[in-house]
Amino acid sequence: MKALLEIKDLHASIGGKEILKGVNLVINEGEVHAIMGPNGAGKSTLSAVLTGNPAYEVTSGEVYLKGENLLEMAPEVRARAGVFLSFQYPVEIPGVSMTNFMRTAINAKRAYESKEPLSAKEFLALMREKKKMLELPDKLNNRSVNEGFSGGEKKKNEIFQMAMLEPCLSILDETDSGLDIDALRIVAEGVNKLKTPHNASIVITHYQRLLDYIVPDFVHVLADGRIVKTGDKSLALELEEKGYEGL
Amino acid sequence: MKVCKGETYERVFVNEEVNLNIEQEADSHVKIHVINAPFSITVNQIGEGCSTEIYGLEHLRGEDDVTAETHVTHSVGGGTSNQLVKFVLEDNARGRFIGDLKIAQDAQQTEAHQTNRNLVLSETAEMRTQPQLEIYADDVKATHGASTGQLDESALFYMQQRGIDKEKARQLLVNAFMREIVDTISDERMKELMNERLLNAIDGVVE
Repeated sequence: MKALLEIKDLHASIGGKEILKGVNLVINEGEVHAIMGPNGAGKSTLSAVLTGNPAYEVTSGEVYLKGENLLEMAPEVRARAGVFLSFQYPVEIPGVSMTNFMRTAINAKRAYESKEPLSAKEFLALMREKKKMLELPDKLNNRSVNEGFSGGEKKKNEIFQMAMLEPCLSILDETDSGLDIDALRIVAEGVNKLKTPHNASIVITHYQRLLDYIVPDFVHVLADGRIVKTGDKSLALELEEKGYEGL
Repeated sequence: MKVCKGETYERVFVNEEVNLNIEQEADSHVKIHVINAPFSITVNQIGEGCSTEIYGLEHLRGEDDVTAETHVTHSVGGGTSNQLVKFVLEDNARGRFIGDLKIAQDAQQTEAHQTNRNLVLSETAEMRTQPQLEIYADDVKATHGASTGQLDESALFYMQQRGIDKEKARQLLVNAFMREIVDTISDERMKELMNERLLNAIDGVVE
């Protein structure tokens, strides 16, 4: 089994306040890891630090993606190297069309991989293919990025972008929050369809519900900035029953 | 100058300083764009049922120092006016917007809007905004808004997270900000030309 992501004793803070206090985690190709934990445990901080959000400061520790030092890469380089974050709150960008945005992103990744850019025709064909695969409506294309989208549409749009960019490591940050059961099913099925033996996912969630649809290989409990317990999917059920205090 | 009853005056001025003083007779229409040049435009609706649209777009760099002035008066009722002026300021640029909107006592059932939005991209650039509204009629619909801000950091990070480098992400956001004005140009050929010139063609753009 090949290690995709290695996190070693990671400490991070925001505004001088330490949030991550020594996280250790190894994720191999083909694995799905769920990270659960109470509010304020550092779940979203972990996703922000892995993607290079400038609001957070890494104070010590190391992170490697396929053996390369992830923390030294700019956020856009991490993305091109295959780290994808499905945002908890996808950002609205008025005036920037989805098509323009997505094509710029795809071609930036292709340039990083020394591939030729996609022509307009190839790009549109790829959009259609991915939309069909995810059973998404066509109407998203000509709108501005996330502008006026409902909560469910925004999350579906995140998964669509994930399908387009084919990341090796997807981080789904509270993807289930604010979704009704139908939207949750579509999003989860999308994630499952995109799973291959060579990519991996981190599913950050507060509730067990999403894990009925995206079945994790490992469940980690993050509390007060550290992983305090690791188990298989039964741990999620146990948490649901007993709560985090019951650990 | 006078725009006669029922007539339309429509112009797009680019890189050309504009000083206009216009009187509009009944049912006449005025639509003016000024792009990248100082301007002072005074419009007085002296006949009923007129429409006035004034759009300004100033992308300032270096030591640029530009003032945009609008003075719109509704002397009689039943007219509409819309003013939208946007500045993008880089380097040490200075911008100034002075916008007067006056609705006279007899100008009932007027609809008037004035908006000034500015994007300040450097710490040494400076924008001053002086909107002034005088409304003497009571049965009118009038709005005005002014805002000066920076690029949305969360939008920049969102784009970077998709692999778009920061400089290109900035360019996409600035272009989106400017496109709102370009989109209001009626002449399709001119609109296309402005899109090419202002929104300096970005790799990978498909419309």
